[in-house]
Amino acid sequence: MALPLPPGLTHAEVAFLAEMEMVTIVPRQRLESMDLLSGQTPPLRPPHRAQLPLWLALLLKKQRRANIVPPPWLHPASLSEIIHRETKENPQTFSPPPPPPAHANPHDPGHARRLADADTILSPPFQPSCTASAPAGYLPYHWLEVAEALLAHAGDDMAAPAGEVRSLLRDLVEVRAAKMRSSTSVLGGAENGLMELTGVGAIELAESRAFVLGVVDGVRKIGAGAEAARREDEEQGGGIHDDDGSDDDMGI
Amino acid sequence: MSYYDIDAILTDAEKIPCTFQLDVPDLGYLDNTPTQTLKTGSRIALPLWLAEMLAIASSSGDLDEQGKSFVTFDLPPALGNDVVQALKADPRAVPLRDQSAHFYGLATHMMDLSEEQELATVLRKTYVTRATEIALHARKVGGVGHHGKSTADEGSNLGVGGAGEEFLRGLDEWERKLFRKAHDGAKAGKEWMENVKKH
Repeated sequence: MALPLPPGLTHAEVAFLAEMEMVTIVPRQRLESMDLLSGQTPPLRPPHRAQLPLWLALLLKKQRRANIVPPPWLHPASLSEIIHRETKENPQTFSPPPPPPAHANPHDPGHARRLADADTILSPPFQPSCTASAPAGYLPYHWLEVAEALLAHAGDDMAAPAGEVRSLLRDLVEVRAAKMRSSTSVLGGAENGLMELTGVGAIELAESRAFVLGVVDGVRKIGAGAEAARREDEEQGGGIHDDDGSDDDMGI
Repeated sequence: MSYYDIDAILTDAEKIPCTFQLDVPDLGYLDNTPTQTLKTGSRIALPLWLAEMLAIASSSGDLDEQGKSFVTFDLPPALGNDVVQALKADPRAVPLRDQSAHFYGLATHMMDLSEEQELATVLRKTYVTRATEIALHARKVGGVGHHGKSTADEGSNLGVGGAGEEFLRGLDEWERKLFRKAHDGAKAGKEWMENVKKH
């Protein structure tokens, strides 16, 4: 009650975080390497492409020192493919997040391998520079924020007229928002308490978090009595103990 | 549920029908018969908190009355059979607020007191089905842009009006909160999108 902000990040915060995502630029001026908190930026030599954080790339773009190369997934063809997949092929689920980056093995030429070691974290928010290296046909975690920022500030660098990309994005947003709304309806079944939200982007989560949590919480409250009774039965009957009772501690 | 939760307090004030199981002297005014004894078997609507106390507590007077609770209670009309049947038929068509402004709160409280498996199933289905509808309306309703955007920008307002308003008026408190959450989310999203350019 004391906190005025709902749980989770607001849109502005998510958009701020998205500015750490890497984008590819084509510099128009030389710029020496800079020491930033996240490490050194690559030295910029005009015809060579370089990867920079989005905020720095936008700054250089505004100063006309660089052009931004739109990421492959922001190409109209990629967007229409995703829309097609979301509406026609899989009208129920969200399109999957980008696969982990592939690495070529120098000893085994021709066979790239997905990075999937035990110690690499590859879930969306922690994936390194997932926005720049995401292949076409997949939406990275920060897709909408990055796309909006690029459209607003680097519309002339797009692969197609900015209006076309924008209208495709709008379609995609609408399709996915509708899915988000109807995704809660699976909770209505007696035994099904799972919602599949794989592939949902950060800004979509920020938008729907309160609503989805509200629905889940309501379902939990309605079922609380039956749940307590079931637990009692279990404890008296088989003596199977839920040792942690994690459901109670979650505090959704 | 917090101690200071106003909705919880108001839910506790909802009346439910109770049947007295023993005579109570001088309480007849509850049944419109002042200065008389309240007879066993009188049916009176009591607030939930009082009914709960009386139903759980048991008298410790005479030997033959020992262990007997003061009152027994039935499900309130808001959770009656006809309402449940209507909800089964089409959850969206029932204005829950007309039944009780704290419909779900009342229902969960009643389910705590008495085992109603079927009611829980119906309510769950109802809540989830209506939630989808609520989210849909929450996205449409209201001009989100503050600065008088052109009507073309709010083209998604189509379909609100008649039926939509009717439905929204029938939301109970839980659903109103849910509507608010969904609406705030959608609004924040739109505001953010309009502000991207300014940074």
